[in-house]
Amino acid sequence: MTMAGASEEKSGEKIEAYLARLRRGLRSIREEEVQEIVEELRSHIMDRAGASGEITAAAVDATLAGLGGPEELASQYVTDNLLARAEVSRSPLRILRSLFRWASLSFAGFCVLLGSAVGYFFGAVFILVAMAKLFHPRTAGLWTYPDSNGELVLSFRLGFERVPVGGHDVFGWWFVPIGWVTGFAIVLLTTSAAVWCVRRYRKSRVLP
Amino acid sequence: MKERDAQDLESPDKWEIQLRKGCLELAILAALWEGRCYGLEILRRLESDSDLIVSEGTVYPLLSRLKALGLLRSEWVESDAGHPRKYYALTHAGKRRAIEMSKTWTRFSTSMGKLLAPLAKEDR
Repeated sequence: MTMAGASEEKSGEKIEAYLARLRRGLRSIREEEVQEIVEELRSHIMDRAGASGEITAAAVDATLAGLGGPEELASQYVTDNLLARAEVSRSPLRILRSLFRWASLSFAGFCVLLGSAVGYFFGAVFILVAMAKLFHPRTAGLWTYPDSNGELVLSFRLGFERVPVGGHDVFGWWFVPIGWVTGFAIVLLTTSAAVWCVRRYRKSRVLP
Repeated sequence: MKERDAQDLESPDKWEIQLRKGCLELAILAALWEGRCYGLEILRRLESDSDLIVSEGTVYPLLSRLKALGLLRSEWVESDAGHPRKYYALTHAGKRRAIEMSKTWTRFSTSMGKLLAPLAKEDR
C-alpha cells in the first residue's frame, strides 16, 4: 500500500501529530508499554486507511475519527494501567494514586478512596506516635485527660508539648509495640481492602 | 435527577448501547476462538459475524486490558503490508473464561427467551 502523491506528506503529518498527542497522554505509563500502544495504533491506522490500496487524506481522517480523540483514548489506557498496577502493588502511595483516578470516574471509587485515606491516616498516626514514644517516653503516646468541662478526652500525642493537667498515659511504654503492630495492621488491612475493591471494579468495568 | 434517570431507562438506545458493551468482552474472546488475529481483523470479525458495531477506540484499550488480565497473549508479526502487526491469541485462562461466559450467556438468553415468548407473539 502507498500514500497518494501530494497528500502523502500531509497525511503522514496528521498521523504523527495524532500519535504524539496520544504519547503525551500516556506519560504515566512505562515507556515500553507506551511504545507498544503507539506502534499498534500506527499499524492499525496504516491498515485501516490503506484498505483500498492507497492511503488517502480522507481515509486517514476517517480512521483517526474512528479512534476518537487521542487524549480520550490515552485516558482509557492510563486508567486501566493504573488499576492493573494497583492490583499487584502493596505501596499505599501507588494505591492512593490509582484510587484518585477511580474516584474521578465514579462515586464508588470516591467512597473507596475516602475509606482508604481514613485507614492509612489512622495507621500512620499509630506508627508515628509509637516512633515518637521512643524519643519522648514521658509525654508521647495515647493519653486521656479532662477537658475544660471535666469530660475525659482521648488523645494521640507526639510528645512535643507538656502533658495536660490530670493526664494519664493509657499504655505507658507498651504503646511502642502496640502502636507499631496496630499501625501496620491497619495499613495492611486498608491495602488488602483497597486492592480487593480495585480488582472487583476492574473485572466489572465496562468501557465508556 | 429522578426524572432524568427515568428518561435514561426509558431510552432504548442507551439500554442497547449498554447491552452491546456488556457483550463486548465475550465477543472478542469468541472472535479469537478459531485462532490468532490482529486488532483490525477482530474488528472486522465483530462487524461481519455479529451485530456489534464498536469503535476502534474502544476495542484497543479492551484488548490491552484482556492481555493484562492474562486472558490474551500477543506477538508482533511482520506483514506483507510493510509494517508489523500485533496478533492476539487466547491463553489457557482466556479459553476457560470464554467457555464460562458462553455457558452463562446461553443460560441467560434461554431463560429470557421463555420470559419474552409472549411479547414475541404480541408483536406478530
